[in-house]
Amino acid sequence: MAFIRRYLIPRLIQYVLVIFLGVTAVFIIPRLTPTDPIAHTIAQIRSQGAYLDPATVDQFIQDLKELYGLEGSMWDQYVALWRRLFRGDFGVSFFQFPTPVSVLVGRALPWTVGLLLTTTVMSWVLGNIIGGLAGYFSRKRWAQALDFTAMVIRPLPYYIFAFTLLLLLGYVVRLFPIAGGAEIGRRPEFSWPYIKSVLWHSFLPALSLTILGGTMWFQTMKLIVQNVNAESFVQYAKLGGVKESIIVSKYVIRNAMLPQVTALGLALGQIFSGALITEIVFSYPGLGTLLYNAVITGDYNLIMGITILSIVAITTAILALDLLYPLFDPRVRYR
Amino acid sequence: MNGTILRAEQLQAFYVLDMFGTRRVVKAVNGVNLEIRENEVYGIAGESGCGKTTLLKALYGAMDPPLRLIGGRVFYRVNGQDVDIFSLRPNELKQLRWEYISYVPQGSMSVLNPVIKIKETYRDFLESHVRGKTRDEIFEMAKEHIAALGLPPTVLEAYPHQLSGGMRQRVTIALAALLKPRIMIADEPTTALDVVVQRGVIQLLKGIQESLGNTIILVTHDMGVQANVADRIGIMYAGRIVEEASVEEIFGNPLHPYTWYLINSLPRFGDKGMRESVPGSPPSLITPPSGCPFHPRCPHTRPICREQMPSFFEPVAHHKVACWLMGEG
Ligand SMILES: Nc1ncnc2c1ncn2[C@@H]1O[C@H](COP(=O)(O)OP(=O)(O)O)[C@@H](O)[C@H]1O
Ligand SMILES: [Mg+2]
Repeated sequence: MAFIRRYLIPRLIQYVLVIFLGVTAVFIIPRLTPTDPIAHTIAQIRSQGAYLDPATVDQFIQDLKELYGLEGSMWDQYVALWRRLFRGDFGVSFFQFPTPVSVLVGRALPWTVGLLLTTTVMSWVLGNIIGGLAGYFSRKRWAQALDFTAMVIRPLPYYIFAFTLLLLLGYVVRLFPIAGGAEIGRRPEFSWPYIKSVLWHSFLPALSLTILGGTMWFQTMKLIVQNVNAESFVQYAKLGGVKESIIVSKYVIRNAMLPQVTALGLALGQIFSGALITEIVFSYPGLGTLLYNAVITGDYNLIMGITILSIVAITTAILALDLLYPLFDPRVRYR
Repeated sequence: MNGTILRAEQLQAFYVLDMFGTRRVVKAVNGVNLEIRENEVYGIAGESGCGKTTLLKALYGAMDPPLRLIGGRVFYRVNGQDVDIFSLRPNELKQLRWEYISYVPQGSMSVLNPVIKIKETYRDFLESHVRGKTRDEIFEMAKEHIAALGLPPTVLEAYPHQLSGGMRQRVTIALAALLKPRIMIADEPTTALDVVVQRGVIQLLKGIQESLGNTIILVTHDMGVQANVADRIGIMYAGRIVEEASVEEIFGNPLHPYTWYLINSLPRFGDKGMRESVPGSPPSLITPPSGCPFHPRCPHTRPICREQMPSFFEPVAHHKVACWLMGEG
């Protein structure tokens, strides 16, 4: 079938190739930097005041080499890396020794994905609907008021915005908890009290992300709609006396959605990099915090694990987008 | 002679542009009088940029900024009564559209929504004007209409990009005829099409006009097409109609020097000589020349041409021309 041969196969090849190059880069880059992770780790332990005798150090170096997969020639290391990846083994974290990286990531992932998936989708839907209407009715008062509000919110640095929300709704009016992903001491379980606690705790971070994300989608959508509105097929439908409801939905929004679908795909891929600032401000457990800690402590295996995860996530999102896009735009056929 | 169906009186429509505080006014339609009759093809010809599209927009009542109605009126003859279209409320005007008067815009290649099938576009136009029909009945109407005009029924299932330029043009013309309007406006429907395809488009227009017995206002700068299709022709120059007569008179006895050049720039069969195109360049519509706007390019300029715009003379019955050369007999 032409679809498989001419459309699917090339994209799958591209997909595999990008991941391959990404992982290779993740392998090479740390080896090009002048810092030696082992020397770095030992120096860190020494700086904390521990005395290490030479024999211990030698043993330690050996252990670390094994830990980081630094044994043998470059080629051996590279092959070993792939072998481990195929087993889903990203090695063990050093600073939470001996927890495997996959366990740490697995623990943080539901928090991040739960929060970011919801907020990304929610802000996309809201921002596009409101932005679409504001773009179509851009001469109306309410549309200009919304536009002005967006212009005020948008340049605010996220952390200031997030802190303000936290202060207002967490400290001043104590409506929402100020930290954590759920009540401390509650065991994760599939029960209403636990879910309620999770929703309660995630409300502020979700609100901050939805407002700021929504504003971004709003502004882009409004601009796109204003451009589409000037297109000749929209003007023509108006001259033809086509009902306004049809023009808005089938002519303007439908066409304006196309670039936004692409952008949503990419935004969903980004989820797996976590939301560092949100997680820090709201002390929310997630991939961002995990990655931050990994960088601070020089936990190489953990950094590599998270980086590879985001590479796979983003390329997968792009692949999914490529495969789904022709459903939205008839001009792009499966060729 | 047939009655008047569309009348324009002293119509003025300018583009008023405000660029960084400086106002620029493009006098695209500058005092046009027209009386277009029932059951005729009225051709409007002239170099590009002389205001043809703008005139059509004004006749259609489509005045969107920066285009502004500066003066004059346009009347449609609806059910035996003259309707001043600029005094209508927006929804009254909207009701006339497509049912009474329809429009084939310039660049029809890009007026079809790229993400929906042709039949969906037909459905949207039908649904907005015809009440109480089911989806299937609507598609059935579209199918019959397309078939009656001799277009392949498969076009309804196609997306615009899957059709050739000529087919898209025909689809748009057919769409304009959908509700059997009394007046159809077509802006350069044959431009950018090759000759063979042009013939199909012209045939379609003529066929529609004959079967509906309605009026078509056909704009094209192509005098060859005008000779083929039009019953009467108005020659437009710098926002004004400068000559108007039947097609035979225009081609057999052109009175305005500009018309003469337009006709003589046409290639003729067996004639290998150089074609004589209009000398000089088109006038600015922001600062049009004084007097007769054609005087800077006219080989017969007299002093009065620089000072005063000539009004219409009618040296031959039903043949009007705005030129001082005619005025003195
Ligand atoms: N949207 C617009 N804004 C400003 N000027 C315009 C616009 N559209 C057309 N014009 C100007 O108005 C004049 C007449 O244009 P047009 O009616 O399109 O002429 P034609 O159809 O005969 O080629 C031209 O000088 C053109 O530059
Ligand atoms: Mg034009």
